[in-house]
Amino acid sequence: MTDRPAEATYIRFRNVKKGYRIGGEAIPIFENLDLEIPRGDFVAVMGPSGSGKSTLLNMLAGVESPDAGEISIGGARLDLMGEGARSAWRAHNMGIVFQFYNLLPMLNAAENVELPLLLKPVSARERRIRVDKVLDLVGLAGRERQYPGLMSGGQQQRVGIARAIAADPDLLLCDEPTGDLDRKSADEVLAMLRLLNRELGKTIVMVTHDPQAARHARRTLHLDKGRFVEEREAA
Amino acid sequence: MSFFSLARRNAWRKPLRTLLLIYCVTVAFLMYGLTASFLDGTQGTTGASDELLGVMSASGRTQTLPMAAMTRIASEPGVASVAYMTRMRGYVTVEKNAVAVSAVNPELIAKVNGKELGLTQELVSALAEARDRVLVGRALAEAQGWSVGQRITVTSFQTARKDGSRDWRFDIAGIFEGETASTDTYFMLANYDYINTARARGTDTVNAFVVLPAPGISAGALAARIDALFANSATPTRTQSEKQFLEGFLRQYADVGLIVNLVIGAAFGSLLMIVINTMMFAVRERTFEIGVLKTLGFSRRRILILVLGETLFLFALGGTLGLVLAKLVTVMTGPALGLVFSMTVLAKAALLIAALGLVTGLIPAMNAMRTPIAAAFRAR
Repeated sequence: MTDRPAEATYIRFRNVKKGYRIGGEAIPIFENLDLEIPRGDFVAVMGPSGSGKSTLLNMLAGVESPDAGEISIGGARLDLMGEGARSAWRAHNMGIVFQFYNLLPMLNAAENVELPLLLKPVSARERRIRVDKVLDLVGLAGRERQYPGLMSGGQQQRVGIARAIAADPDLLLCDEPTGDLDRKSADEVLAMLRLLNRELGKTIVMVTHDPQAARHARRTLHLDKGRFVEEREAA
Repeated sequence: MSFFSLARRNAWRKPLRTLLLIYCVTVAFLMYGLTASFLDGTQGTTGASDELLGVMSASGRTQTLPMAAMTRIASEPGVASVAYMTRMRGYVTVEKNAVAVSAVNPELIAKVNGKELGLTQELVSALAEARDRVLVGRALAEAQGWSVGQRITVTSFQTARKDGSRDWRFDIAGIFEGETASTDTYFMLANYDYINTARARGTDTVNAFVVLPAPGISAGALAARIDALFANSATPTRTQSEKQFLEGFLRQYADVGLIVNLVIGAAFGSLLMIVINTMMFAVRERTFEIGVLKTLGFSRRRILILVLGETLFLFALGGTLGLVLAKLVTVMTGPALGLVFSMTVLAKAALLIAALGLVTGLIPAMNAMRTPIAAAFRAR
């Protein structure tokens, strides 16, 4: 997984080590993990529970730091950044789609989507225009004022995607984005992610248990016991 | 949606809890507004001058000084002008309806204290026109329902007339307003000559001399010099500013300021505990969402500001409501209770609102700020 040309690499893990200490016992997750993902790729990461999928995603999001090794995304060294710098980096470069949507219940769809834009130097008018545009893109035009509690799971996940892309990040991290959806809604969400990858050039890393979901990605990486054991290109 | 409206929306997430918190803050600031207005306005201490000096007997406020002392005081360098005053306390119709009469020389009192009392030349002339005339302060006139031209009878508690009666009849010649709302106007000004001539005892004595220091003269130093003049006389004096006198007068009964501050301190202490506790619960309930916000890129500083903004919003709303109610009460009760909701009270309350909002929000805000994202996500 390190045989791609360096100039095309967008995400790079080099000799990454990560482990946890639970009850005094050290539990290693990754030992010298290497990974390279080019810009504009759509990668699905699959693997059994405990294989390290969530830890990988957390390190990609800058939520957790590696114990050792390098993590660089778009040339920025996440492993060298402090918490404040990682927050700022996330605000400008990354969107995240959660399994359970994680929308704020007291905000309506438009306000939830607007959240990441509050961190950017954008006028209220520009924010409104951007929110309308992304809600339109995910097929929720006209539902701006609807609250999450009154939406179906599929609609909430579309709001989640709209929120993730509102600030126009290059990287989209998806944590089991269809895990809580029925097949039809899941397919709609996956089609949307594919559209974002193909049409808007977003780099997407999606953690999933669902082989059908993984088929929408350009390639699938299989993780087991902290190592990539298989890579499969999309048919 | 702005950053502030996000804080506001968070605050209104549980409306009943928020309303109860706002109610607590409102009651606390209503109490603060009323007690601070009471302290500020009681007996006109706010309006009382720090510069105007009162020369009284060192033996006590009820003791008198001979009128002859005036010449010595007036000749002291640094004295711009001197007036004299004899106090007479009495009641109108029923004993509990007590009123105070200050017997003065109209021209002299106007020169020394006319500006503060709002004595116009017309009022002074009207008072001087006949010996049994009085000028009534606005607060007293409103409380008694008196108007100009009315004839009133004040039954003195102690000052008897030569004929044995204690009834003193006056014609109301005018109403003086006082320079500001906090000036004490709950008394009347009578002609000294009238009372001095008619009273059975204490002729040619006064209760106090009122001294206006010359410009640039230190009131404190002048007070000491005046007292030194009479130090070895039969009538030693005690000279104080008007403000010191009134504050000392109140302190005869109790240290009102200390009592009020203790009550307010206890109220705010309890309020602080309630709001901190409630906010800690409210923020803990939202730990997961704080993790989501951090994942979206909200920095620790922004999370801190968000939670502080929430408590500031609660305090600003509750505090404003409390102060508006306090102001309404002071307006409705009128000057009779001596409540003065001054700009000082408002400024202090605004500072308290900001300080308490920040202090109460600080612990929950710090907790929210420090929670790692991974730990926040485990809180679901």
